[in-house]
Amino acid sequence: MHTLLLVKNGGVLLHITKVFWYAVTICIGIVLLGTLAPDYLNEFTASATNFISNQFGWFYTLVIVALISFCIYMMFSRFGNIKLGKDDDEPDFSLPAWFAMLFSAGMGIGLMFFTTAETISHAFINSPNAEPGSEQAILESLQYTSLHWGFHGWGLYAVVALIFAYFKFRVGAPGLISATLEPLFGKKMMRGTVGQVVDTLAIFATVVGVASTLGFGSAQINSGLTFLFNAPNAFWFQLIILVVATLIFIASAWSGIGNGIKYLSSINLWLALILLLALFIVGPTMYITNMFVTTIGNYISNFIQMSFDLKPVNEAQRDWVNDWTIFYWSWWISWAPFVGMFIARVSKGRTIRQFIIGVLIAPTLVTFIFFAVFGGAALNLEQHGIAKLSSMATETVTFGMYEHYPIGMILSFLTIVVIAIFFITSADSATFVLGMFSTGGQLNPSNVVKIVWGLILSAIAAIVMYSGGLDGFQNMLIIAALPFSIILILMVLSFYKTIKRNE
Amino acid sequence: MKLVNVRKGQFVYYQNKLHKVYSVKAFFKQSIHLIRLENFKQQLSTAKEIDFYKPKHLDSFVYNQKRYTLNKDTKAKVGDYILVINPKPDSMDHHHLNAIEIVSSVERNGVISNLSNGIRHNEYWVMVPGLEDGATIIDLQDPNAEMAEELESQLAETDLPETYTARIGDVYQKNGSDPILQAMVVSIQGQNVYLGGNLKVEMDILTNNEKWTYMLNMMD
Repeated sequence: MHTLLLVKNGGVLLHITKVFWYAVTICIGIVLLGTLAPDYLNEFTASATNFISNQFGWFYTLVIVALISFCIYMMFSRFGNIKLGKDDDEPDFSLPAWFAMLFSAGMGIGLMFFTTAETISHAFINSPNAEPGSEQAILESLQYTSLHWGFHGWGLYAVVALIFAYFKFRVGAPGLISATLEPLFGKKMMRGTVGQVVDTLAIFATVVGVASTLGFGSAQINSGLTFLFNAPNAFWFQLIILVVATLIFIASAWSGIGNGIKYLSSINLWLALILLLALFIVGPTMYITNMFVTTIGNYISNFIQMSFDLKPVNEAQRDWVNDWTIFYWSWWISWAPFVGMFIARVSKGRTIRQFIIGVLIAPTLVTFIFFAVFGGAALNLEQHGIAKLSSMATETVTFGMYEHYPIGMILSFLTIVVIAIFFITSADSATFVLGMFSTGGQLNPSNVVKIVWGLILSAIAAIVMYSGGLDGFQNMLIIAALPFSIILILMVLSFYKTIKRNE
Repeated sequence: MKLVNVRKGQFVYYQNKLHKVYSVKAFFKQSIHLIRLENFKQQLSTAKEIDFYKPKHLDSFVYNQKRYTLNKDTKAKVGDYILVINPKPDSMDHHHLNAIEIVSSVERNGVISNLSNGIRHNEYWVMVPGLEDGATIIDLQDPNAEMAEELESQLAETDLPETYTARIGDVYQKNGSDPILQAMVVSIQGQNVYLGGNLKVEMDILTNNEKWTYMLNMMD
C-alpha cells in the first residue's frame, strides 16, 4: 500500500507515466538476473539470439530493405513537397547548420570502435565471400562495412525521423511512438495499455542500444589506457570507467550544465575531425584515397545483391551474416527511436524530399570517409605484413594500428579523449530522450527521471559486460530489436495512411 | 567591451540604443553583429563601441515596436514572449542566452517554445506587454543625451520606418471572405480608399494584414 502510494505520488510529482514503471521494472529485472545468475543470462541471450538470427534473419533483412525503399518512394512521390511543419513554417536552422547537425548525428563511439576492427575482421579473420587475407577479401572488407554503416542504417533512421517529424510538426501529436500509431489503432487503444506496451518496447530497445554503445566505449577506453599506460585490462577496471563516466553525466544532469555538454559535444566533433585528418596525413594517404573511391564503386554496383544476401547455402558464411549484418540491422533498429527523435527535432520546416536527401547523404558520407581513413590505414598495415592487427582483441585494433604510424601516441591519446567525451554526451542525450519517452513526451523531463535512466543505462552496460562481454551486447541487441521492428512496420503503415488521407 | 567578453545573445548599448548581439565574427573588422531591439535593424559594429547591459527584473524595453516589461514573478501563458536569462538547454534544445521566444505550451517543469525548445521555468522571465508599475525603461543608455536624440530625429526624417500605404492599382483580397472577394484600388481620398465594386474601406483597415491581403499591383 505504501509503495503504491509512493508510486502514485512520485508519478504526480515527477509527471511520469506508467510506461516509466514498466520499462524500469524490465531493466531492473535484467540487472538483477545478471547479478544473481550471470551465466544463465548469458546462455539465455546467446541461445535466443541464435534462434532469432536463424529464424528471423530474413525478416530483419526485408524490413531494412522495405524501409529504404519506402524512403526512396517518399522522396520521388507527390508527397515529396510536403513540409514537415505547417505550410508557412520556415526551417529553424540554415542549410549548412542543418547539414552539420546531421553530420554530427552520424558520428559516435561506434565509428571509433568499428572503423578499424570491422574492416580488419572482414579482410583477415572471417570474410563474407573470399578467402581471408586474399585480395578480394581486402577489397570487399570496405564494401561490406559500407553496406552495414551506409544507406541501410540511415534509410531506417530517415523513415523513423520522418514519421516523428510529420506527426509532431504537421499533425501536432506528442513525441511518442504510441502517438504515431493512433491513426491505425485509434486513440483509445494507443492511450491505454497497448500504447504503453508500445512505448515500453521503444524504451527497452533504446536502453539496450545505448547501453551496448556505452559498453563498447568503456571497453575501448580501457584497452587504450592499457596500451598507453599499462592500465589493467579487466572487468573491474571497465566498471570503474563506467562509474566515473556515469558520475560525470549524472552530475551534469543534476546541476543542469546543459550548455557545458553542448560545448563539449561541439568540441568533440572537431577533435574527431582533427583525428581523421591527422591519420589521413600520417597514414597511407594515397592508399586511403584509392580505397575510398574504389569502395564507392563496389558499394554501388553490389548494392542490391548485398542488401538481400542471406547466404542460405553455405553455413559458415551464414554465420558471418548473423554475426555482422543481422547484428547491425538490429543495432540500428534499437537506435532508431533515439536518433530519429534527434533528426526530427532539427528538421522542422524542411520538405520531405529535402529531408530524405539530407539524412541519407550527410551522415552516410561522413561514415564512409571515416571507414576509408581508419579502415584503410589498418588494412594497409596488415596487407603489407607490418602488423598483425587481426590477432588483437576487437577493442584494441585501433590502438594497435596507431603504434605503427608517426605521432601514434598522440593519436591514441586523442582517441581516448574523443571516446570519453562521446560517451558522456551520448549518455546525456539518451537520458533526455528516455526521460521524454517516459513522461508522456514532455520536453522538460525532471532531473530525477533523467538520473534514473542514467543509472539504468550504466547498470545494464556493466551487467552485460560482466555476464557476456562484447558478445553479450550483440545478443541483447538482436533480442531487443525484434519486437521493435514490428512496431516500425506499423509506424510506416500508420504514417502512410495519415499522409494519404491528409495531403 | 573587449571582444573576448562578447557572446551571442548579450544585451548591449550601441549608439545609445539597446541592441542584442546575434553573431560574433572574430575575424571580421566589424566583428559584432547586432540587432536593434526596437525595430530589428541590423547593425555592424566593433567590440569597443558597445557597452554590456544585463537585463534585470522590471526592466522595460521596446521589442519590435511594442513595449514589454521583464517580470520574473509572472507565470508564462501560451502566447507570451519570454526572455531566456539562464539557458541550460537539454541535448535536443537549441535556445541560447537572451533568446526571445514565444510560449506554445506549458508543462509542469517548463514551457515549450515556438521553436520547439523545452525551456524550464527557471531559465526564463516573461516579457509582460506594456509598462508595469515600478519599471525601469532601458531603451536608451543615457536618456538625457540630447545630442543623440537630436541626431536620431534627424535620422528619423531620412529613415522613416516604411509604412505601408495603398496605391492606385493595388489588388487586395479580403481575408476569410467566401466567396473570394478581390478588388482593385481605384481612388484614394485621404484615409478613405475606394475599391472597384463600390467598396469604401479605411486605409488602416485595408493595410491591416489580418483583414486584407495585398495581392499585386496592376500597374507594375
